Amino acid sequence: MKSLYQISALLMTLIVLLGVGQSTVQAQEYMMDGMTFGMPEAVVYTEDYDGPPVVGDHLTLLPNLAPLEYEGNKHHEVRLDAMVQEIEVANGVSYRAWTFGGTVPGPTLHVREGDRITFTMKNRSDEEVTITEPGSEASPFMQQVADNNYMNAKPGVMPMPHSMDFHAGTVAKDDKWRTIAPGETIQFDWVANYAGTYIYHCGTPSVLMHTAMGQHGVVVVSPKEGYPTDYEVDREYVVVQSEYYLKKGPSELYQYDFEAAQSRNPSHVVFNGHQTILHDQPLEANAGERVRIHFSNNGPSGTSSFHVIGAIFDRVWLEGHPYNEMRGMQTVLLGASGSATVDFIVPEEGKYILIDHEFADAEKGATGTLKAGPRKR
Amino acid sequence: MKLSTLSYLLLPIVVLTVLITVSAGAQSKKVEIPAGYFHSVLPEVVGEPVRVESFFIDETAVTYEDYRNFLTDQPRWRSSDIPAIYAGKSYLKNWKNDLDYGDKKATQPVTSVSWYAANAYCGWKGGRLPTLNEWEYAAQAMEFESSDDADRFSSELIGWYSAVNANQVKPVGSSGIENKYGVKDMFGLIMEWVEDFKPPVADDLSLDCGTVGRMQGSSTLYGYAMSIRYITRMSFKPISATGMLGFRCAYDTVQNGNEPVNENQSTD
Repeated sequence: MKSLYQISALLMTLIVLLGVGQSTVQAQEYMMDGMTFGMPEAVVYTEDYDGPPVVGDHLTLLPNLAPLEYEGNKHHEVRLDAMVQEIEVANGVSYRAWTFGGTVPGPTLHVREGDRITFTMKNRSDEEVTITEPGSEASPFMQQVADNNYMNAKPGVMPMPHSMDFHAGTVAKDDKWRTIAPGETIQFDWVANYAGTYIYHCGTPSVLMHTAMGQHGVVVVSPKEGYPTDYEVDREYVVVQSEYYLKKGPSELYQYDFEAAQSRNPSHVVFNGHQTILHDQPLEANAGERVRIHFSNNGPSGTSSFHVIGAIFDRVWLEGHPYNEMRGMQTVLLGASGSATVDFIVPEEGKYILIDHEFADAEKGATGTLKAGPRKR
Repeated sequence: MKLSTLSYLLLPIVVLTVLITVSAGAQSKKVEIPAGYFHSVLPEVVGEPVRVESFFIDETAVTYEDYRNFLTDQPRWRSSDIPAIYAGKSYLKNWKNDLDYGDKKATQPVTSVSWYAANAYCGWKGGRLPTLNEWEYAAQAMEFESSDDADRFSSELIGWYSAVNANQVKPVGSSGIENKYGVKDMFGLIMEWVEDFKPPVADDLSLDCGTVGRMQGSSTLYGYAMSIRYITRMSFKPISATGMLGFRCAYDTVQNGNEPVNENQSTD
């Protein structure tokens, strides 16, 4: 009897040791082809945090991209809280959006290939969060929203589970991308192993609903060695295409149209989250300049045939990776969650229209203006 | 074809006898739900209807006033006394103090209540939280004139899930939505706790991009609305408390092999 007890105690010890061993293995980092894999386990906890919902020096409001003022690699601390904002997406069309950071798309994160990111997100969908009052801790994104609240964002409350899926990260999704309840916070690390422009989005089902409701944005990972034309680039912008599926609700607000979303019949297809924003606030350049656009089609379901009327893409890096270089393209075809970094030379003073050349999309809003001044050099 | 599928999905097969008992000293009524079958969206038993035994369920959700009565009698569930393991910071977060929920809320469904607290309340009332299957079975016992009506209802329900305003919850009984036994507001006001809100299959489903597809045994609008509800519920923790999460209680029937309902009995 006693020996049986001893054996079972030994077995228990073994099981415990094995269990501990497993979690240690999972947390062990390793290198392969110069890239870093094996991130520590994500942590889910509750915190009293009620500070700025967007924290980090390299997060900006579209179409801006934060400059990488540092040499080599950096460890970024980034916070991007999930919350509800009532936003305007077209003239007279507002709805209560599910957001990362308060706008649709969410803030653009800019890092360099090889950078490490410690990411924190609190699910604040059950509290009112004001995004137009940046504190000292807040990211440049919040000051930019305060200066230019083009979506007229106002806080709302709609408690729902949410999660974060960074396409720029390479991790086990059932750990890092896991869903958290309202009031919970998740924190995890990832390394930007591959250069390019990558969507991030909420991965909580229904993913169609969560992304169509507004939970997406992009991370721009600049290549370590840069792109071959970097020294000639005069302007750099980020443009994100996405669809809304909205119908008039019982009040003056619009709401999610499930049937339209399922049948891929968007009410609006937009650049940078608003039907007319890139005409109301055109991108700027001068004749003779080289303009670079990091363009992402965040979907959730449509394709984009991105074209600039009056220009030809001098260089195209598919997905933004410097090895995927093409030249002389009129249109770049992108599926949902596809991206490209494009360079073009602005030929003369005037207006250039950015457009999804799938004209059904263009006429639902997927156009914008680049306004070119006279040649200056 | 579509209509017959839908009626199979939506309408329990049993003929009903509705028994309504009025609980002593409270306005809320209990409604008996007879035994029957319904279709779950969980993939564990594809195509197989789930049997649910008869039970009683509250006609409407527990209100602020109901909950205040509970707190008056049971101080250890008040905000200032409740241990952190039973409720997070957001427990009853909009109350002015322990026993004051503010104006004009008496008949609104109480929200920001943890699963532990909801359990304790129902125990105090001589009942328990409904099981997931009981709740779904009761909620889905609705009659529609046609499949178009059912689709329209489901579409509105999905709209509600995506546009609910947790700052403006209306009084119980006001949704205009009622099942065929007379249970009110199972949709349209709040979401509700159930006993087993996170069934074992939840971990396997793991809530990702493919989950809705895996849950949709029938690709109806109703199935989609259901999967959103199941998924939302599965994401909660027992201490979760949000502005749109409330509850109602269920009670065993004698046929269930259990003791009859005992009113207002404390569990302590």
